[in-house]
Amino acid sequence: MDILLQLIANGALLGGVFALISIGLTLIFGIVRVVNFAHGEFLMVGLYATWIMASQLGLHPYVAALPLAVVFFFLGALMQRAIIQPLMNADPHIQIFATVGIGTALANGALMLFSADLRSVDLPWARQATDLWGIASVSRGNLVAFFVSFAATGALIAFLNRTHLGRAIRAVAQNRYAAPLMGIDVNRIYAITFGIGTGCVGLAAAVLAPLYPAFPTVGSFFVLTAFVVVVLGGMGSLEGAVIGALIIGLVESLAGYYIAPDLKEVVYFAIFLGILIVRPAGLFGVRGNE
Amino acid sequence: MRVALALGGLAALFALPFWLIPAIDPEGSGFWQHIFVTIFVFAAMACAWNILGGFAGQLSLGQTIFYGIGGYAGAMLNQHFGLIPWFGGIVGAAVAVAVAVFIAWPCLRLRGPFFALSTIAFLEVIRLLAIHFKDFTGGSAGLPVPMFVGTEMRIGWAWMLFREKENYLIIAFGLMALALAVSWLVRNSRLGFYLVAVREREDAARAVGVNATGVKLAAFAISAALTSLVGTFHGIYLNFIDPETMFSLPTAIQVAMFALIGGLGTVTGPIWGTLLVVPIAEAARGWLGAAANGLHGLVYGLVLVGVVLTMPKGLVGSIGPWLKRRFGGVAEVDSAARIQPPAPAAPGEERPPVGEPLLEARNLVKKFGGLVATSDVSITLREGEVLGVIGPNGAGKTTLFNLLSGFLPPSSGGVRVRLADGAWVSPNSPHGFAAAGVARTFQIVQPFTGLSVRENIMLGAFHGTRSAVEARRIAEEVAATVGLTGLLDAEARSLTVGGAKRLEVARALAMKPRVLLLDEVMAGLNPADVQQAVELIKRVRDSGVSVIAIEHVMAAVMALSDHIVVINSGRLIAEGPPSEIARNPAVIEAYLGEEYAHAAA
Repeated sequence: MDILLQLIANGALLGGVFALISIGLTLIFGIVRVVNFAHGEFLMVGLYATWIMASQLGLHPYVAALPLAVVFFFLGALMQRAIIQPLMNADPHIQIFATVGIGTALANGALMLFSADLRSVDLPWARQATDLWGIASVSRGNLVAFFVSFAATGALIAFLNRTHLGRAIRAVAQNRYAAPLMGIDVNRIYAITFGIGTGCVGLAAAVLAPLYPAFPTVGSFFVLTAFVVVVLGGMGSLEGAVIGALIIGLVESLAGYYIAPDLKEVVYFAIFLGILIVRPAGLFGVRGNE
Repeated sequence: MRVALALGGLAALFALPFWLIPAIDPEGSGFWQHIFVTIFVFAAMACAWNILGGFAGQLSLGQTIFYGIGGYAGAMLNQHFGLIPWFGGIVGAAVAVAVAVFIAWPCLRLRGPFFALSTIAFLEVIRLLAIHFKDFTGGSAGLPVPMFVGTEMRIGWAWMLFREKENYLIIAFGLMALALAVSWLVRNSRLGFYLVAVREREDAARAVGVNATGVKLAAFAISAALTSLVGTFHGIYLNFIDPETMFSLPTAIQVAMFALIGGLGTVTGPIWGTLLVVPIAEAARGWLGAAANGLHGLVYGLVLVGVVLTMPKGLVGSIGPWLKRRFGGVAEVDSAARIQPPAPAAPGEERPPVGEPLLEARNLVKKFGGLVATSDVSITLREGEVLGVIGPNGAGKTTLFNLLSGFLPPSSGGVRVRLADGAWVSPNSPHGFAAAGVARTFQIVQPFTGLSVRENIMLGAFHGTRSAVEARRIAEEVAATVGLTGLLDAEARSLTVGGAKRLEVARALAMKPRVLLLDEVMAGLNPADVQQAVELIKRVRDSGVSVIAIEHVMAAVMALSDHIVVINSGRLIAEGPPSEIARNPAVIEAYLGEEYAHAAA
């Protein structure tokens, strides 16, 4: 029983990590309708950036989070303008190749610059365990990531629903041809949305840096899980991404213990394929998005 | 000429590492021969990938599933049973085909990024399973390819293992040539035309009788088998296989990349793409050593982004047409000027009498949620007859056509068609209807824009023949009938509305149908074109094809039809000969409103 509770706590916190990584991906897909295969590599760049700021400038990763998110916002907007915008009307496979190319270049660029060594941010506080009412023991860093992911999702949902810009973004998502007739600059919305999505990755990187080391292929390690989460929750649904992340976190934690540690990914990839086949719109997605 | 040039190029590609480099630089030739083996292997895989990713347009990023299957089949049969890799390769290819079919069943219904993601997921699952079942696969520790087993030396041609590196070049080159040859054969066969058709417009492809799932499955299987053969060889060449290298996502991405850089869907593109980027990356790795770790990936990624942004059709797709324009002297065609009137009816051609029923729809109902688009419609088409279908906009005429050609399944009721031998069948898919002799056109024209007019018509002709030569002959004959002979080589996207409508009819006629469904082929035409279209339909009728035509041009409907059915709000409100229909109050009301009906009465 104790083990089960501990596993559930671990799974939920892991779900928080996945959610943090997935919300940017699902936002970009939902609005811009581009699947960003370079998403994981952005996370990798963020982890390296946090590591450099921590080791060279002595900046606390949590302090670095907001500035990093802002920098990533502009990087994302820039990438959208320079590379995605010209391809907005191209075949989907061309868009896939473009983001795959960016991802490949970033991962290998990191390999050249930093070699394959693991670079960890030294923050013992985050790795220390804290006791949750005597039922489970979890690391503080994980707890922080969990709450940040909920706060970030809540903030994004509020932004999309309560602000003028947020409404414009949703209008573009619903009909990219009617939105310009309402006076919305669609291309600007795409750049902003892409920026926000990447900004989320910057935030995620800083919060996760004390927990996960940076290495060149760390992106693909996370991004496949993020795709599973996003498809499960419904491409484009922020709430869906959080719930999908919690499900996948729990599946990973429980399957790792009760089935076999090296088959836990098989379990959630099986869920992923099942969802794609049976209900491609995901649990919370809008039908037709697929 | 082009074939000779291609064969010459291939011979040079082989001679370079095999004779030329050893002659110039005997010391360094090992390095170069390794690079060329790598080039040949990747070119072969890119060619194989292109059959699925290029011709069929299914962007798989899990192609190393089959590469790994081939590698493991060769190594495991060698290790556990002492079987030679040539046999292992064949077993691997067979397993790869089976796995491809298994994967294709759920994946092929997904589109674009979702198909790519699902292939990645399958690749990950298979890699993880290969790591998990270490008793068979050796797990992450991998399997060495044994050179000695006891006292037996497993070396030489039988074992695909050599001390002399040139022999590897021969096999690698052979694999590339095989993949290229298969790719060429596919592209120039009926299957290749069908694949391109499905990729461009699945609906129009299904209308000419293509079993869309079937041809995609075939492409998947062919591609998997070829990739598996390459995997068997490459595993032995590398002397060692493990799940990370055999079921590698980065390798799967690279293979797709090379094909795209060279030109997606072209026969030689994948080879050009591989030739362009692999030498740069491999040579840099050789010269710079460990300092260049990651350099090849960086180069691949940057070249890919550059190609995608500047020439999305790839090297061959972009430079080829430029060369043709520059040196081939193909002038732009003024398509409007080249359309001729349809060929006149041959003298003495008599109209056959209207005969027995050929197609019957009984009590057709189609509901979309709460909306009843077709409500209890029954119609009969007799042999040799022209049946006109009229009704106001939104009356449900096109829905009726979709029911009559298998594009929509009816909610209740059924459609049956009498075959040439007199038997009645009730098909339930577009290709089923096509096989029963029913051809259709689309109200919104659906030409395969990337293909020439000739190739568009050939797609219809392939319904009756497997031979490309025969299909070409039929296409030319049909083009003469509809008056498109002067435009046979023009790209379909350059046609005017009138031309595109004729192409639509020509493609359907090339199927040699017994029933032709025409959906507003005269809409948007000028009066002269309408007159020609009427003549054309009369000729088609006189040649023994029965026609159902949806039409808004009243004069033409009245002149052509033997029998007219009127549809309004999904119901059949009147039917009869044209003269009666013109005076029917219900029809006048449906078209012009109640007051006019009273006025007419």
